[in-house]
Order: sequence, then C-alpha cells, then structure tokens
Amino acid sequence: MTAMAFHLPDTIDGALRLLAADPEAQLLAGGATLVAMMNAGLVQPSALVSLRRIAALRGIERSADGSVRIGAMTRHCDTARSEDLAGGHAVVREAASVIASPPVRNMGTMGGSVAFADPAADYLPALVAADAEIEIARPGGWRRLPVAQFLLDWYQTALEPAELIAALHLPPAPTAAVGHYDKLSRVEGDYATASVAVVLAMSGRACSHIAVAVGACGPKPVRLAEAERALLGSPLDEGALSLAGRLLAEAADPVDDVRSSAEYRRRVIPRLVRRAVRSAAARIA
Amino acid sequence: MKIEDGFTVRAPRERVWAFLTDPARMAPCIPGCREIQIVGPKAYRARVRVALGPIKAEFNLEIEVEEEVPPRLARSVTRGEEGTRASTLLAKSVLELEEIGSAATAVRYSSDIAVMGRFGKFGLGVMKKKAEALGAEFAAAVSERIEAGA
Repeated sequence: MTAMAFHLPDTIDGALRLLAADPEAQLLAGGATLVAMMNAGLVQPSALVSLRRIAALRGIERSADGSVRIGAMTRHCDTARSEDLAGGHAVVREAASVIASPPVRNMGTMGGSVAFADPAADYLPALVAADAEIEIARPGGWRRLPVAQFLLDWYQTALEPAELIAALHLPPAPTAAVGHYDKLSRVEGDYATASVAVVLAMSGRACSHIAVAVGACGPKPVRLAEAERALLGSPLDEGALSLAGRLLAEAADPVDDVRSSAEYRRRVIPRLVRRAVRSAAARIA
Repeated sequence: MKIEDGFTVRAPRERVWAFLTDPARMAPCIPGCREIQIVGPKAYRARVRVALGPIKAEFNLEIEVEEEVPPRLARSVTRGEEGTRASTLLAKSVLELEEIGSAATAVRYSSDIAVMGRFGKFGLGVMKKKAEALGAEFAAAVSERIEAGA
C-alpha cells in the first residue's frame, strides 16, 4: 500500500487547485460512505482533499423570496432539524431525518451523498421533488443545474473530476405546500427498498401542485410529468392515485438486490405512492 | 450472473464473423479495453478498465476460444484478475450469428459471469445493469464499424 496524502484546504479555490493537480485525488466530505469504502478496499485514492475547513460550504440560509441554500458540507443531522426547511421544503428535512442512523447523520453531508449518487440514498428523490438545483464550483467559475439533470446513471453524475459541489438550492415552494418523504426499508437505518418524496399543495379539494419522485427503483429518482398530470386538478381520488402509481412503476427500472427483488419494487411503488400522497394530503386537511 | 442480449448488424454474416473474430478490429469496440494481445491460435490476453462511480478497476483477462463453428457459433472462457488480485472473474460466453436475409445478421451473446472478491460486496443487480450498458456500447460500436465498411 502506498502512502496517501491528506489535504485540508481553507477555501474552495484551494480545494479546486489540489484536485486539478492530482486526477486520482478524492474529495472527502463527511466520510460516512467514502471511509467505509476505503476500509472495504473498494477505493484507493492517491490523496484526500478534506472540505471540513471550508466555511463557505456550511450552513442553511433562507432568502426573503422563500428559496433556500444548503451548503454542501451541511450534515444530515443539521438538515434534519432545520426550521428553514418548512412547507414544501420539509420533504428534504424529512429525508435527512431517516438517513441511516444517528452516528451516520452526525458525519454525513448532503454534498457527499449527492456526489456519491447511490440510487437508494434518501436525499435524491427529495431534492428532485423539490426541484432543487446544484451549485458546482469549478476552476475559474461556477455552474448550476437541476439535480434531475446532474444525476446521469447508476453512481454516475455530471460532476467533472476538477469540480466540487458547493451547495444545493431549493426554489421557493408553492404557497401552503407540504412536503413529505415516505421510506420503505427492511429495518430502521437501512437504505430504502423504495421511497417516495412528495411536494403537494391543494386549492380547496383539488390538487394545485404536485411533485412525486420515486427513489431506489432505478439509476436515479423517477419523476414523471404524465403521472403528475394525472393528479393535478384531481381530488386525489383512488383513480388518479392508481394511475399515477402505475405510470411511475412502469417508468421505474429497479434491480434485484439484497433488499428486495425488482419485481417486488415494481409492485410496491403504486402502494407507496398512494400512501405518501395521502399522508401529505392529510397534513393539509 | 447471466447476461443475454443481442443486436442486428446490416451486413452479411461472413463479414460480421470476420470482424468479431479479428481481435485487432474488434478490441477497439470493447468499452475500456486498453490492450489486446494474441498469445495463441485461439487465445488472447486483454486489459480492460471499468468504473462504477468512484470505484475503478483494471482487469487482466485471458480469453480462450473453446469451440468455433464459422460463421455461426463461438464459445469462449474468460478468466480475469485485478493487478492487486483483489477480485477475480470467470465468464463462460457463447456468441451466435444468424442470417437475416443476405444483407443483415442477428448477433446474440450470452455470458455467465462470476465475480469474486471486493466487487462481491457490490450489489449484483447494479453490476448486471452496468454489464448490460457496456454490452449496448459494444453493440453500437460493432454495428457502426461494420456498417461503415471496416
């Protein structure tokens, strides 16, 4: 085993320079996943660039217009208790609160989770349902793109080797919206077998805003305009809910793994969609 | 895990066979293939790099063609290991070519692959999706080159 360098830059620019200098270097956020993978011999970076000292990557800020910026190094435990994540944005707070176990939530960060892009990670469907955008720092500038476009394939993102995730941005949620994250897992603390993130608003008895994203059932969260059109304007009756659930299950691309078979996941999606949307609606009523 | 897939090439079967059994022309179509050597009349050695998220691996493969029925069938065995021996791989593969009229060929392949070692920790489901995606990349590259007259 060769010696591994460890860097602790104070600024984003400093971290970017270290990344540019060594293509085999790996960014270290909270280490909840990366260190476990290093211990298992799955990754052997030549150097670690820790983001721990970079103050600009931390914290949650809510703007006057209702948008929220979550720094990439914000830990799950801080996201899970943030009062800035209210209304429709609560979907992200709820997802944070059920990631793994308390020790992992004390270490793990949103940027680290999104960069690793495990399809079963709780944040991904929540961020996609919240229409979140990702802010990426790169040599000489910045770029921003929707999380839904950032996630490309199994464990594959649009992040270039010389780039780092600086923050996640949640646009203002619709007035009076609620957010809800429903996770189906074998035991508490496990990855999701399947999950559903919902952002919902009602106007009287009719649905006036809906975003539904299914997690852990494909390379990236499944969100479908057709399924949302089925629910929009409806009173969230059984017919609309089963149509949306069926369309999402058809669009999913699940795998067989230790948590369940692909077939089970396809069957459970419609039920989980119905349960998640009804739970969200119950909070409005 | 078992991978079964196929694709169609708009070229006569003899041309497809000649292409697929010529390592110099076929190797550039294999995603991540760094090098291929002919080590015997029916034996090859190759280096192939694969990546899944932050996990990168380079396998040294030994491919032995056990049976050939030109121009329609080939059976081969692939044994591989990483340089660090952290993972090993054993694959038994069958390639079949079927004529579709005189100007097109259906290529079918199946592979029974066992991966042991550090990749055993990874979900087989995701590995299978990755293998299918690599297969699709290979198919696209083969069709494109043969149809372009390579």
